[in-house]
Amino acid sequence: MNIKSFDQLSSLELDTLREIGSIGTGNAATALEQLLEKEVRITLPEVRIMGYNEAIDWIGGPEAVTAGVLVGMGGQMSGVMLSVQKLEFINLVLEAMLGVQISDYGELDEMHQSTLIEVGNILISTFINALSGLSGMSVNLTVPGFAVDMQGAILAVPMAMYGGTSDYLMTIGANFVCDNKQVPCHLLLSPDVRSLNFLLAKLGVAE
Amino acid sequence: MNEKITVGIADMKMLKGSGVLITYALGSCIGLCFQDPALHLGALLHVMLPMNMETGRKNPLKYADTGIRETVRQMTAQGALKSRITVKIAGGAKMFEVSGGSLGNIGQRNIESVHTILKQEGLRLIAEDVGGKVARTLLFDVASGQGCIRSYGRQDVFF
Repeated sequence: MNIKSFDQLSSLELDTLREIGSIGTGNAATALEQLLEKEVRITLPEVRIMGYNEAIDWIGGPEAVTAGVLVGMGGQMSGVMLSVQKLEFINLVLEAMLGVQISDYGELDEMHQSTLIEVGNILISTFINALSGLSGMSVNLTVPGFAVDMQGAILAVPMAMYGGTSDYLMTIGANFVCDNKQVPCHLLLSPDVRSLNFLLAKLGVAE
Repeated sequence: MNEKITVGIADMKMLKGSGVLITYALGSCIGLCFQDPALHLGALLHVMLPMNMETGRKNPLKYADTGIRETVRQMTAQGALKSRITVKIAGGAKMFEVSGGSLGNIGQRNIESVHTILKQEGLRLIAEDVGGKVARTLLFDVASGQGCIRSYGRQDVFF
């Protein structure tokens, strides 16, 4: 049976999605490890199905500023994938790649930004590659977009995309652990409901 | 400023007399401040999408068309007159420049839809701060009708 809304997912389906999150984020962590030349582990991946206002509270309040890299998905899966990068993560990347640190998002120059976009793009592409290898779905990715702004507005992008069909936002993702510290870099996959049904059917778990 | 009342996404709050309504981080969404100055009655609406095409129509406040009509209905039930109601809007930004995607420009479609519905309903739009690519937090003082827009990396805008 096809689900019509994210809140209808069964526990088997949720487990499967969690597994995808685990494999996707795990692959992304390996890619990050090579970029940073440091050990990177991941936290237990989560699948969350949240109402709009709940999602904003979950990510840490609407007005907090953050950097976001966004890639649109097309082909057999449509939706978006976001890499929400907070200051700690940004400094980890900039330190390793350019040897600099910043104390405020306002200090991000063009060089810093393109570094962050590239890292975000690599993480997202690695995640999607793993997903696509696992399910046999072919997924096309757009050129990444970048914004530094209130995270409420950044998270509203996937919400607005599916707002017409769903009152919920589904995110699959995990955080990285580097130097024994949790580094908040939410890697969030938000497929639309139709693609989600297709994905679950491809993996043979649609009930 | 006294206690602020928060308006969520796809939400609307109405106040009579005095008070401040606030809605956070409008990206492509649009915040609309309605006021009937004669009654000191004000409402703040946060809509996400331009048109309601849902079959069930469970959540009218999510959409510009049904959201505006529902707000006006509730205001007139409190004694407001359509001819006196003024509207100020903010939001409709484009957060990400992504080429070749199916993302489209929801912000721009929201702005156009709000303009159309306001005209259809005969409501006066007296101020706006829309478009661009900056997120906005919108505060609305019900008694004075003054709005304030906070953004990251930009001066506060009063309207």
